[in-house]
Amino acid sequence: MTTEANIQRLPDVFTDPASGQRINLLDYKAANMRMSWLMALLTMALLAGLAYLIAQVTDVASTGFFVGSALAIGGAQGAVGFWFSDKIALAASGAHKANSAEHRYLVNVTEAVAIGAGVPMPDIYVIDSPAPNAFATGRNPEHSSIAVTKGMLAILDRQELEGVIAHEMAHVRNYDIRFMSMLVATVGAILVLRDLVMRWLYWGGMGSGSGRRRSSDRGGDGARGQGVMALLLIVLLVLAPLLASLLRLAVSRRREYLADAAGAYITRNPEGLARALEKIKSYRGPQLEVSEGVRHMFFVNPLHGQNNVDMFATHPPIEERIKRLRRM
Amino acid sequence: MATLVILAVLVVLALWGVSVYNRMIQLENRYENAWSQIDVQLKRRADLVPNLVETVQGYASHERELFEEVARSRSALMNANGVNESAEAANMMSAALGRLFAVAEAYPELKANQNFAMLQEELSSIENKIAYARQFYNDAVLQFNNAIETVPGNFFAGPMGKKEAVFLEIPEENKAVPEVSFGQASQPSA
Repeated sequence: MTTEANIQRLPDVFTDPASGQRINLLDYKAANMRMSWLMALLTMALLAGLAYLIAQVTDVASTGFFVGSALAIGGAQGAVGFWFSDKIALAASGAHKANSAEHRYLVNVTEAVAIGAGVPMPDIYVIDSPAPNAFATGRNPEHSSIAVTKGMLAILDRQELEGVIAHEMAHVRNYDIRFMSMLVATVGAILVLRDLVMRWLYWGGMGSGSGRRRSSDRGGDGARGQGVMALLLIVLLVLAPLLASLLRLAVSRRREYLADAAGAYITRNPEGLARALEKIKSYRGPQLEVSEGVRHMFFVNPLHGQNNVDMFATHPPIEERIKRLRRM
Repeated sequence: MATLVILAVLVVLALWGVSVYNRMIQLENRYENAWSQIDVQLKRRADLVPNLVETVQGYASHERELFEEVARSRSALMNANGVNESAEAANMMSAALGRLFAVAEAYPELKANQNFAMLQEELSSIENKIAYARQFYNDAVLQFNNAIETVPGNFFAGPMGKKEAVFLEIPEENKAVPEVSFGQASQPSA
């Protein structure tokens, strides 16, 4: 902590290179909370809208049922995500709680950074893996957890570990995790709906649907209108997941840059975090086994051996992160 | 119709005013809490001092002056009245502890003592937390001052009697406190 870097003033404003937007590093949670709510409403609207379209194409009479069940499924999924995503993530990565006797050093570092960040002390977990990595979960700072792998504890010194923990704590403090969970849930809901429709189309739902429609006094026009609806539905359901995924990945990358800057600001020591990234980058041992769904939550991409420097990467490239930190 | 519109506007204004007021109160409480957080860490450090002095005395009993200095700083902290006195006492303790650990470098048996090693790690980590607590206090003060000085807040600050908070000056001696860093070898196995 007592390095030259502390004495010079670090900028407390982050300028997003893509949009030029200036973000206050001390507190950017307002936007995240608004967006979380917006995302929840958007998901519900999307689900209801798609369910409505499906109903129009299959069986107009059951529109209420379709829309109702879509909202129910979406609502349930959202609720589970909101309250349990942290437990799920921790279980999925095989993390076990750190005890303060065995992991005194980690607990001390986390306590110190929590004081500097002004957040309550999170639960600390350790993952039995030699690959250096970490993640944070939790819907708000009062219910948050940070997990660190044994590999990370082995290779980083105090300043570097502080940098990593500060990065994770920046995610927690500014409700990034809640926002990303909502975004993932939105994408997930769209995917579920897409699968349902695909399945239904596969089973020839179209034929029986149009039969019923025609019998309700519509004639030739009805069939054509319904065909357009169906086409629209298919286009939406193919494009929407793609667009949503791209959006999620872009947002995820930006959040990582922001958390790097905010974490460096908390420790007043960008060099610590930069050095940690360098050490992690040069790691060549066994990788961490995690499922696709939680990969974006980690400090570095668990598959960072394969250099994914494109739109489909969950994390920005490590060299770029190091460069930006050193430019602070 | 016009009265309804005026009423709606007034309601919106009132709600907005409430949110500005609440935010200012939250930020004020935050920096006041941050101040007491510093005190908590200082007290934890002071509480470890008797144990430390006892351990070191077992190996370096003739360094009496050093022990007296540390003990004096501790009683100064416990008897301090008000912000300035406690800040002064805290600085005195930092300097005394710094000197004590520097002196301890010359006693290899002391350094090998388990209890001393543990105390050293604890005290080093508390020094770190004190530094972070002071830093957070200054951050919280910055946010509060910004809130009462920028446009929506400054209309409320006057009538509410909210005054600018004072930043903590971190004295030069503190920055020179030797940080006891172990490296990987002597960390408890993770």
